Amino acid sequence: MATVRLLTYVVSVLLVVVFERFSALAAFSQSLDSDFTFTLPAGRKECFYQTMKKDASLEIEYQVLDGAGLDVDFYISSPAGQILYSDHHKSDGMHTVETEDGDYMFCFDNTFSSVSEKLVFFELILDNMDGDDEPEDWKEYVHGTDVLDMKLEDIMDTINSVKSRLGKSSQIQTMLRAFEARDRNLQESNYDRVNFWSLVNLAVMMLVSGVQVYLVRSLFEDKRKICT
Amino acid sequence: MAPVGSCSALLLFFILNIFYGFITALYFHIGETEKKCFIEEIPDETMIIGNYRTQLYDKHKEEYLPATQGLGMFVEVKDPDEKVIMSRQYGSEGRFTFTSHTPGEHQICLHSNSSKFSLFAGGMLRVHLDIQVGEHANNYAEIAAKDKLSELQLRVRQLVEQVDQIQKEQNYQRFREERFRQTSESTNQRVLWWSIVQTLILVAIGIWQMRHLKSFFEAKKLV
Repeated sequence: MATVRLLTYVVSVLLVVVFERFSALAAFSQSLDSDFTFTLPAGRKECFYQTMKKDASLEIEYQVLDGAGLDVDFYISSPAGQILYSDHHKSDGMHTVETEDGDYMFCFDNTFSSVSEKLVFFELILDNMDGDDEPEDWKEYVHGTDVLDMKLEDIMDTINSVKSRLGKSSQIQTMLRAFEARDRNLQESNYDRVNFWSLVNLAVMMLVSGVQVYLVRSLFEDKRKICT
Repeated sequence: MAPVGSCSALLLFFILNIFYGFITALYFHIGETEKKCFIEEIPDETMIIGNYRTQLYDKHKEEYLPATQGLGMFVEVKDPDEKVIMSRQYGSEGRFTFTSHTPGEHQICLHSNSSKFSLFAGGMLRVHLDIQVGEHANNYAEIAAKDKLSELQLRVRQLVEQVDQIQKEQNYQRFREERFRQTSESTNQRVLWWSIVQTLILVAIGIWQMRHLKSFFEAKKLV
């Protein structure tokens, strides 16, 4: 009797541990993402590498936020060295790759521009990095017919769905922030340009009018000297 | 009986998650004297945690191995006003944290502290980097232990933090958009104003030139 109770105790603890582990895994590590903003100097190429597992997916989204033509070359290559996608002089782009095991390399190339440095923003979204762990399997382990257990299941499901939607909102917000930063940088450079060239225009006008008057006067003064 | 099992499982899971998240971090190569900078545009009162791990290329084994003890990295953080808010040296593996007090573009720069040029042996240093911003920087295991929360409470707390972060970001976005609109309107105004002034100046210069030359010619008895 005691051993049966002990066994039940051990089994239920094990079930709870497994249930917690898988459900926690399902909620907290489903999708990993990171974003970086960096300055790409003129005439340089910067490469980044990401280690991936088989059957996961890698989504990369990049934008050029500042710098002359607002464009950059981009390419992504597989662990075997094969170039999967290649963009030429684009200002933004998005690519999704179904991955194999290995290190994927993606590069931003600014070698075509010798004077202007670019401000590049990119975001990496990784999915299914747990590989074989099926987050739905834990449902098989839950044997409770208790109403409370089912309610808990519903609450967990709701929380998971809210979390993933908030994650998506956060990603969209990041994207909007990048667009806004790009437009703002563009507008600020317009402002600087308008100021600068207006002043240059004013100076040139003054100079030219002065030179014109001086030249016309000097024409007549020389003739005077010749006549006498 | 259930809380004990679930607590230890949760703790184990969180430890694994932190370690696991780091293994899949992005990496890049950095030269000896090279400085790599990353820009993070964040609202105020936001915490940023950065983790990095370095590896040095070993010519004999032709692979990247964990760097020697003497090799460290300088981490420098500048706030939007170009003021240095953190400048510290860490070892070959490190973790840096800072909280922003002004909203805007913060710059995080990394460069190696190697003074012996032979150390890199013509290779590059491989740096694995992971930067967590705002809500992602929270250590939920710690929060659970400190506030004695059950898993359900912890998850709801995480959702609340996530929403807080989104709201903070949105407020900051509104502030930036206002600045953007001001710059646009100012540019627009200046373009219009300058065109009018330019026309007036040209007309005035023309009149002045004519009058000046006319009086000059009259003085020279040509007219």
